[in-house]
Amino acid sequence: MLAYLIRRLINAVLTLIVVTFVTFCVFFLVPKATGSDPALLYVGKQADPAAIAGIREKFGFNDPVIVQYGKFLKGLVFGRDYVSGADITHCSAPCLGYSFKTSQEVWPLLIDALPVTVSLAIGAAVLWVLMGVSFGVISALRRGTIWDRSVMTVALAGVSLPIYFTGLLSLSIFVYWLGFPNPSFTPFFDNPWHWFTGLILPWITLAFLFAATYARLTRANMLETLGEDYIRTARAKGLRERAVIGKHGLRSGLTPLVTVFGLDLGALLGGAVLTEAVYNLRGLGYYALNGIRQSDLPVILGVTLFAATFIVIANLIVDLLYGVIDPRVRLG
Amino acid sequence: MAGKTKVMVASAAALTLGLTAACGGGSDDNKGDNNSSTNGASFNAAATQVVNASDKKGGTLNLWSPQDADSFDPAISYYAWTIDMNRLYSRTLMTYTPKPGKDGLILSPDLAQAAPEVSADGKTYTFKLKSGIKFDDGSPITSKDIKYGIERIFAQDVLPNGPLYLMQELDGGQKYPGPYKDKDPNKLGLKTVETPDDSTIVFHLQAANANFPYELALPGGSPIPQKRDTGDKYALKPASSGPYMFESVQPGKGATLVKNPNWDPATDPNRKQLPDKIVLTITTNADDMDARLIAGTADLDASQSGVQTQARTQILTNDKLKQTAYNPNNGFIRYAALATTVAPLDNAECRKAVIYASDPTTLQTARGGPIAGGDIATNMLPPNILGSDPKYDPYGRAQGKPQIDKAKAALQACGKPTGFSTKIAVRNNKPAEVATATALQAALKAVGINADIFQYDGKDVGTVVGSPSVVKAKGLGIMISGWGADFPTGYGYLAPIAMGKFIAPSGNYNLPEINDPAINDLFTKGLSEKDANAAADDYKQANEKVMEGDYFVPFVFDKALNYYNPRLTNVYFHQGLAMVDFASLGVSDGK
Amino acid sequence: MSLGPEAPISDEIVAPTDDAAVERTAGEKAIAGRSLRQIAWRRLKKDRVAVGGGIVILVLIFIAIIAPLLIKLFGHPFDEYHNEKIDPTLGLPLGHLGGISKDYILGVEPVNGRDIFSRIVYGAQTTLTVAFLSAFLSTILGVLFGMTAGFVGGWVDSIVSRIMDFLLAFPQLLFSIALVSVLPPTSFGLGPRWSRVLVLVAVIGFFGWPYIGRIVRGQTLSLREREFVEASRSLGARSPRILFREMLPNLAAPILVYTTLIIPTNILTEAALSFLGVGIPPPYPSWGGMLSDALQFYRYDPMFMIIPGAMIFITVLAFNLFGDGLRDALDPKAH
Repeated sequence: MLAYLIRRLINAVLTLIVVTFVTFCVFFLVPKATGSDPALLYVGKQADPAAIAGIREKFGFNDPVIVQYGKFLKGLVFGRDYVSGADITHCSAPCLGYSFKTSQEVWPLLIDALPVTVSLAIGAAVLWVLMGVSFGVISALRRGTIWDRSVMTVALAGVSLPIYFTGLLSLSIFVYWLGFPNPSFTPFFDNPWHWFTGLILPWITLAFLFAATYARLTRANMLETLGEDYIRTARAKGLRERAVIGKHGLRSGLTPLVTVFGLDLGALLGGAVLTEAVYNLRGLGYYALNGIRQSDLPVILGVTLFAATFIVIANLIVDLLYGVIDPRVRLG
Repeated sequence: MAGKTKVMVASAAALTLGLTAACGGGSDDNKGDNNSSTNGASFNAAATQVVNASDKKGGTLNLWSPQDADSFDPAISYYAWTIDMNRLYSRTLMTYTPKPGKDGLILSPDLAQAAPEVSADGKTYTFKLKSGIKFDDGSPITSKDIKYGIERIFAQDVLPNGPLYLMQELDGGQKYPGPYKDKDPNKLGLKTVETPDDSTIVFHLQAANANFPYELALPGGSPIPQKRDTGDKYALKPASSGPYMFESVQPGKGATLVKNPNWDPATDPNRKQLPDKIVLTITTNADDMDARLIAGTADLDASQSGVQTQARTQILTNDKLKQTAYNPNNGFIRYAALATTVAPLDNAECRKAVIYASDPTTLQTARGGPIAGGDIATNMLPPNILGSDPKYDPYGRAQGKPQIDKAKAALQACGKPTGFSTKIAVRNNKPAEVATATALQAALKAVGINADIFQYDGKDVGTVVGSPSVVKAKGLGIMISGWGADFPTGYGYLAPIAMGKFIAPSGNYNLPEINDPAINDLFTKGLSEKDANAAADDYKQANEKVMEGDYFVPFVFDKALNYYNPRLTNVYFHQGLAMVDFASLGVSDGK
Repeated sequence: MSLGPEAPISDEIVAPTDDAAVERTAGEKAIAGRSLRQIAWRRLKKDRVAVGGGIVILVLIFIAIIAPLLIKLFGHPFDEYHNEKIDPTLGLPLGHLGGISKDYILGVEPVNGRDIFSRIVYGAQTTLTVAFLSAFLSTILGVLFGMTAGFVGGWVDSIVSRIMDFLLAFPQLLFSIALVSVLPPTSFGLGPRWSRVLVLVAVIGFFGWPYIGRIVRGQTLSLREREFVEASRSLGARSPRILFREMLPNLAAPILVYTTLIIPTNILTEAALSFLGVGIPPPYPSWGGMLSDALQFYRYDPMFMIIPGAMIFITVLAFNLFGDGLRDALDPKAH
């Protein structure tokens, strides 16, 4: 078990290194190809050549890609000093560098954005799991009824609706028609009620999309499980229906959902780009989009690292959980 | 000449950031009575007079902005609204007079006792400081603090992106590296600025420059106590010489200012100190900000960039809301520049065809319509500048329709009777500019001119359309642009975009690459005139020559529709700041 | 599912047949004397919902093909300005419901008065082209790499699998935006519209292949050990023949289902990219781009948002219905 865990962790770190390296290369080479100079981005248009040269030296833009990447990794683990003549700027670990655009340190910027995305993702996740699973289970148990059909129709419509459309619809109905306040983010510890009311609309919209998928998935899995021999055996030996469903059906019917949930949540934590764009929330996705639009390499790298970390961690947790939930799986 | 080019590049930067330090509106609806005030708000009243004049103290002024501040460090602040914010905590030797109308364009003494003593050759400026002026910690403000503040501008490696006028004006060949690398023990090694005693400061210029006091009125000319300077962190806790001081600054989120107890109103006739507190909130959600303005939980959009489309409809269709909205000219012209280096637009007749074929009304609608976009522009001098004449309309654009016959005749004369192909270059991050590009494209199609739209990243202005070699290589015949001057003179506005010596290999803003000796001479003559009206006449003629050269398609004399909370007092549009004067505002309900 | 964050990754689990199903299908074939294709076709025909979806898809394809004719008959050129249909002060369409009238059957766009009907029809062209071609690209890449990995095994398999895992752990939407926004606006002598279509196809298709690749690899792995493959190998058949003549036909069903199901996701992705401002350049229309424009106007001109939104919804729904039906028809276990 321990050996497995260590192996998986090493694997995860390797994946992160590859992801950041590829990101680094892409965003280093692309500006080169289109002929824009990161130093120029940093100082703005009117700086004189001496200032540009200083910036180049300070941030190491003259080094080859691989050296720059090495410095980036070193900064992440040990911190980093930016030296320009006598002027030294220290960026303490974990250092993701300075934004080309705003000259602010990237790490605190992203740590600031994290609560927005985490609140959005977790809140929506709670909703969609509750809604998706319960509707899916009931549909499976009442297969073929009006209930089943209508739930599945709504679910199919749900997976066919893009969030940037449902988002706008929700805004025009709830905010402009019914007069609810515009969605916004208030930190939970500042005011839990405002936190809740500010995010409820994005939660519901995002959860609707996922709940539709989860309802379809749950129903399919449950139907498959309920058809298995051991369920018939359980019924035959006289267990009450509630026990059959609760103890046996749900457990193996929902196991595959754990994988999917882990991956979905992991991906979402890396930045819900579209949701944040529609509702103007300043989470990781917002910074990612902004970073890309402004060719702000340090910000892009930072968000990519965050996003990939969430996905990798989610994968790891899912695999470990699987060993606990499903006795057939042995880790080793 | 190299120095001048840099000045121009600096103003180009101002433009890129969508701001202008000194230009204003008013225009023809500025009916003389500039100093009047009123207590009954009506649409656009704040553009020409002080609305709700009052001396009521107390309460909190809630400013919001959908755009983050560039910096609160006076050496860096360059957005028009952060320059306006600076007036709350940064005093300068001279500052714009706090009055509506054209009076606002005139400078008044601020830290200085009086206007400067200028030597006969116009190269030496001597200022005497007032007595009793103090920083927020109670220490006195001396001439050395002002010199130190100006020296910081030279430290471009630590404090980049601010306006460079003072640096270019005062370096005098010394190549001063800024106070952080200064070998002088007191860090006051800049030779062109002398401080013979604590209340006297002397500036030595290389050449006479009537704009110099305007340059000193930018926040970079404000005093900074050396012992409180924290380099690039200074923006987080700037010292205050004005009526308010920072309680906190949170980049990207906002700032809180409170009254500065050491500010003495007796030394400062230019500012009021009415609210107890000023809270600035940065938001990413402009629609939400508009909703708050209309609901009254926000007082004013500090960025003054105009309400969003949806709120515009809401305000304009509601008489009550409309009362506290205003839309003065902000000194910008939106236009398309026609490249004289790209065939077939190297032929003036082909350029003329583009101008006549364009549809002034669709372009105006694309900018936001007559109220929120601006009036149809007829020439290339904005209404707030001396020498301008909005009625001067050589292409008959004011009637609002494309002139297909004239366009076809011009095409014939150009030798392209069936039309030609070209490109329209436009920044991809400005929806209104993209909208004008597609409107122009659709109009040109009617006479057989096929224009592909070439979108480029907004940050690359200086290296795409600003690079004559790129313009020629990529064949960018038509370039969508906009311009507002840093100083409200015909030279300040028109020379950088139409004078030959401003053509630069990158960061160029003379987009058509106009280099007409007759035009150049008029600008040179204007700069040397002693009398402002004589200079205005030179610029009027320069404008006419530019129009006769068929270099530009003017779209609109720009306007933005802004809205303020009715509870605000002393609201007026300040022409020098090109926005509402924050330092005069108060709240009537004391909350 | 080709693009991470806000499209649930989940559907692949419910996706196509496992090997048991393929085996049973083979059995049915022997008994009934009917090919899998015939069985599936009969089932599909009985599934009215799926047929409905299929018809909608065919209609949309037809509309896209005859777009120029439709516009001549019922609309105006998609880039023609109609300022007389616009309130100059507010920029909003004159008249009710976004300016819907006899001449403008879906109304006009705010600010410029362009005919929404024409723009929707041209948008269908773009959307369907991108969706189909990128699905095609994903399928080709997925089949190629998936079969190679599954068939050759060993280090080839581990490399391909690693690459697929890596691509799946990638913030794909962000990368697509970045790639699309830096690639040149015109290429291969195509106009701005079709160059961008090509770029979108390449990016969406590329990030989609691992999903198909994983399925194909799994299927190939299990098929490799089957008797009929062994038999063919012992008869001296070479690898390419085994791959293309023996295994590919057996993989056809899951590949077909999967390709159908990836199309609606591609539509959503294309619209998302256009919504985020890196899609088809103006003045050419796309549904996502229209929704993005509607952001400024949805409050006072809701039709401008509802029409392209509804088109995306209907199209994606039709493909989902048809894909579900196809899967059920090809998977006997579903009965």
